[in-house]
Amino acid sequence: MRFGRVKLAAGVVALSALALGVVAARAQAPDRNVWTGVYTTEQAERGRDAYASQCAACHGGSLAGIDVAPALAGSTFLSNWNNTNAGDLHSRIQTTMPLQAPGSLGGRTVADIVAFMLQVNGMPAGELALPPNPALMRNVSITAREPEGLNEDGCTCE
Amino acid sequence: MARLNRRALLTGTALAFATVALAPMRKALAQRVSQDVPDTEWRHYAGDQASTRYAPLDQINAENFVDLQLAWSFKTDALGARKEYQFEPTPLHVKGRLFLTAGSRRDCVALDAATGELLWMYRLDEGQRARNSPRQLSGHGCSYWTDGTEERILFVTVGYQLVSLDAKTGRPDPAFGTDGIVDLKRNFDQEIDPETADVGLHATPLIARDTIVVGAAHTAGDQPRIRENVKGYVRGFDVRTGQRKWIFHTIPLKGEFGYNTWEEGLAEKAGNNGVWAEMSADEELGLVYLPVELATGDEVGIFRRREALFGESLVALDIETGERRWHYQFIHHGLWDHDLPCAPILCDIPVDGKTVKALAQPTKQSFLYVLDRTTGEPIWPIEERPVEAGDVPGEWYSPTQPFPTRPPAYDMQGVTEDDLIDFTPELRAEAVEFVKQFKIGPLFTPPVLSKPGRWGTIMMPGIQGGTNWPGGCYDPETHTVYVYSKSQPGVVGIIPNENMNVSEFPYVRGTYGIEPRPMMAMGAEMPQRPPAPPPANPRPGGQDEVGPTAPRSLSVQGLPLLKPPYGRITAIDLTKGEHRWQIAHGETPDDIREHPALKGLDIPRTGRAGNLGPLVTKTLVICGEAGFYTNEYGLRGAMLRGYDKMTGEEKGAVYMPAPQSGSPMTYMLGGRQYIVVAIGGGNYSAELMAFRLPGAA
Repeated sequence: MRFGRVKLAAGVVALSALALGVVAARAQAPDRNVWTGVYTTEQAERGRDAYASQCAACHGGSLAGIDVAPALAGSTFLSNWNNTNAGDLHSRIQTTMPLQAPGSLGGRTVADIVAFMLQVNGMPAGELALPPNPALMRNVSITAREPEGLNEDGCTCE
Repeated sequence: MARLNRRALLTGTALAFATVALAPMRKALAQRVSQDVPDTEWRHYAGDQASTRYAPLDQINAENFVDLQLAWSFKTDALGARKEYQFEPTPLHVKGRLFLTAGSRRDCVALDAATGELLWMYRLDEGQRARNSPRQLSGHGCSYWTDGTEERILFVTVGYQLVSLDAKTGRPDPAFGTDGIVDLKRNFDQEIDPETADVGLHATPLIARDTIVVGAAHTAGDQPRIRENVKGYVRGFDVRTGQRKWIFHTIPLKGEFGYNTWEEGLAEKAGNNGVWAEMSADEELGLVYLPVELATGDEVGIFRRREALFGESLVALDIETGERRWHYQFIHHGLWDHDLPCAPILCDIPVDGKTVKALAQPTKQSFLYVLDRTTGEPIWPIEERPVEAGDVPGEWYSPTQPFPTRPPAYDMQGVTEDDLIDFTPELRAEAVEFVKQFKIGPLFTPPVLSKPGRWGTIMMPGIQGGTNWPGGCYDPETHTVYVYSKSQPGVVGIIPNENMNVSEFPYVRGTYGIEPRPMMAMGAEMPQRPPAPPPANPRPGGQDEVGPTAPRSLSVQGLPLLKPPYGRITAIDLTKGEHRWQIAHGETPDDIREHPALKGLDIPRTGRAGNLGPLVTKTLVICGEAGFYTNEYGLRGAMLRGYDKMTGEEKGAVYMPAPQSGSPMTYMLGGRQYIVVAIGGGNYSAELMAFRLPGAA
């Protein structure tokens, strides 16, 4: 740790404490979980429309998939994305979909589509919308089931 | 089915790893590299033109399967402008080189089969034409041809062009087509726009007797936007010049055989009826076998009334002329999207003391149809039995459907109360109530008009099958077919449609109360949707009032509606037309293992739903898993599993970071056996993995 090299004896303890504080603050982006309400109902409604026009032709109106595209709902989706995070899912959609125009969907539209997918998979809506940027949802875990002992902040820790 | 309930020998990763840890000690001195063993090849997508996906190799066997280690891997991220996650090819192996298509642009590559080193790469940027294609990404692979001196690699691009490359250099063959390319959207007996027409292909071109046979694939037809789509004709080309030798009209022209099976005037206007599946060929008989899909409208057949050949038929053509020798229609006027998804397996089997040249066709409906491949006659009787008619105005219902008497279906067909989830009495009771909102019944129960309280018909298998594009494999020593199938039901309801922006069909697949949306072909321009679409299919009381709504998925407390297994492998003995064994394939999905309602229950491995192709060797059936699961170390991944081919008993499993996405193949090279498999999906981008046993390089 860079701060540890400071030689001023009097300052070492204080600076070390400060340094630890910085590191801790960085690590302390709250753990969130898709089962704690990470999108809004309005967002999922917009996502339903966006899904219909951008995704349904290949993944099906009921998200059940077709011969050449996987299901986006149910056991197939839940297990394939278990223990990843919403940022992974957002990035995957934004960079590769829709196939005829990858990269064409804005971050907000992708977030709306993700919200709709979460809703169809039984995850509850909440007060805060999913952000438009995958970097802002790396701390949103996707788990196939609601973890036991999940607190209001989406954390199973103390 | 008894085996489904037994605990597999290796239920978890830990036991497999424990065996791995011990094995090196046991095997430390074993000499695995035997230079006197000749190299073997894998010259076709499924091993050979018969589509057996069989190799008589046994260096990798039941005893050492768990010792397998990664020889090399090849990420495809840099092929194409973005990563790919749907990597479906099976590579070819010829003289120490692997050939395959890969990446989001479907580049064609040659790799060193011992090291994975890239030898050459061919890339064709087709711009908007490719982005408009109904079949994107890496596809199933490429094909090989040689006259003993010249060697060619052929594949179909995303934009539907047939390319012939010099296998040694990857450079286009100037003698083939125009600078090595044949534009498949031309000389197609129909005028279509090369930039936007709804046609492409994932399948490899089939090469037999110096003829290349190429099929056609189109956008799925649940809510077909237009009625007169591209016709999926099949063509034969000269492998040296790219000259068209013949064309077969899968939708017959007036005067051609089969035209009279359509109602007057409908064949002319129908589209699709292509061959999107892989094909097989018998060079000795001079026949190529075409698994045909349906004409436009997967679940609504009002514009393809009557039997409408060659829908959902297997057609045998003369390889030289493209003339039809015989056909067999597996479903008359299908309404279930159970088109033929994969190549028939050509097999010589003993029947009444004589060897018969037969074929076995795996299907979405989970029947294995076994026919004499010279004549198309069934080996065991196939009976026409009465089936129910539905209630969709203008639809035509076949009074009967063909039912094979042998072998028995290899997956669940139709739905009864007995098939419903039964982990606990509560779940069963809930499921019994749940299905009252739907029509259920045996196989070929028709789709019905969707209305509150009867939202549609529960189809089992669902529209994806059963078995899908990877098909099965076949062991010629024991005359056994191995086939993976998934048990995943689907709902098909039919709703009226008056919005021509959505579809030119007056009825489309859908659910009462939910406005149908257009299923746009990739190249089609999105119609300007009116701000408020005419409420042809209104919610009761208007859009704002909440009426009864259809369940979003076929589940009970978030658990699948039907009993496991959700994915299985069946061994079918063709000497008797009986099952030899059947096992659940794939670890129990995380969402089921972690479900609170199942806490404390001992659930045997449920298997996993997906699209998988198994491989069979001298002793083993080898197949990866269809989906990710989280193992006891907390790591996501999937296992490549090896089963005793005689009993189905699991002999070992090897960790892979992602599920199998393309079917495995195997070969001997330099005295060592390799197993190569394409993986990827979810958040893990495409990768080709090569496994072999430990040993000095």
